[in-house]
Amino acid sequence: MAHPTQLGFQDAASPVMEELLHFHDHALMIVFMISTLVLYIIVAMVTTKLTNKYILDSQEIEIIWTVLPALILILIALPSLRILYLMDEINDPHLTIKAIGHQWYWSYEYTDYEELGFDSYMVPTQDLASGQFRLLDTDHRMVVPIESPIRMLISAEDVLHSWAVPSLGVKMDAVPGRLNQAAFIASRPGVFYGQCSEICGANQSFMPIVVEAVPLEHFEKWSSLMLEDA
Amino acid sequence: MLATIRKQLRHHPALIPLFIFIGGGAAMSMAYLARLGLRNPDVCWDRKNNPEPWNKLGPTDQYKFYTVNMDYSKLKKDRPDF
Repeated sequence: MAHPTQLGFQDAASPVMEELLHFHDHALMIVFMISTLVLYIIVAMVTTKLTNKYILDSQEIEIIWTVLPALILILIALPSLRILYLMDEINDPHLTIKAIGHQWYWSYEYTDYEELGFDSYMVPTQDLASGQFRLLDTDHRMVVPIESPIRMLISAEDVLHSWAVPSLGVKMDAVPGRLNQAAFIASRPGVFYGQCSEICGANQSFMPIVVEAVPLEHFEKWSSLMLEDA
Repeated sequence: MLATIRKQLRHHPALIPLFIFIGGGAAMSMAYLARLGLRNPDVCWDRKNNPEPWNKLGPTDQYKFYTVNMDYSKLKKDRPDF
């Protein structure tokens, strides 16, 4: 989850998010280098007593500052397009989960084998148990097995919502009347938090998403327990 | 017009990389748009002979421009024929 004064991304919990993280580092490094260079040139220009009134043009430097930015842009574009196509790949999912947005909670349906469905409401601040996160924890978590490709089918019952979990690198709008597909693989066990990312009314900030990634045996135990309760 | 450009280029050779990059970029964008228009199965040009090309997709064909980790020809065909 995000922590106070955090500047960068949350730790990646899926291979796609890892790629995005590394690409962001790459692009940010280029941005820092260019900004440092420009700042240096500005300071050097402003703090010098030298003047030169006789330079009219220079072909060599023009070639350099045409070719170099073009190469830098290509160096940014190629990894970016690669990740774009990577995010779109069909990955033969092991499990399909439906996440449906309501005002103001999410409901999850696991209907591959049995009819398992439950609602996920935020834990109100006055009911928080010790160790739970304010405005982030929910009463029921969406449990998924680790290292399995999961297909999410995301929709909404009333107004627009958006299902987002930053550490998994997933964000997909929940549109009423439309089924959107997103996919991810949870590479490590853990609990990953997200929040509704599309304006949906007074309590948009109060319908978080919690994904709990566990080994497969634990997932099977959890789903049989949930089926009994329901 | 080409003669004028050539004369100007002789005096300002720094413009040559500009032509290369801008021209290359424009060419690549147009080529991708043309590929989308002509090869994309979501596009229907001929309503009489090929009315719904999106219904004729093969399970092992690749329709995307670039695949990073997938080899569509290795996918198993596990769906019924129409």
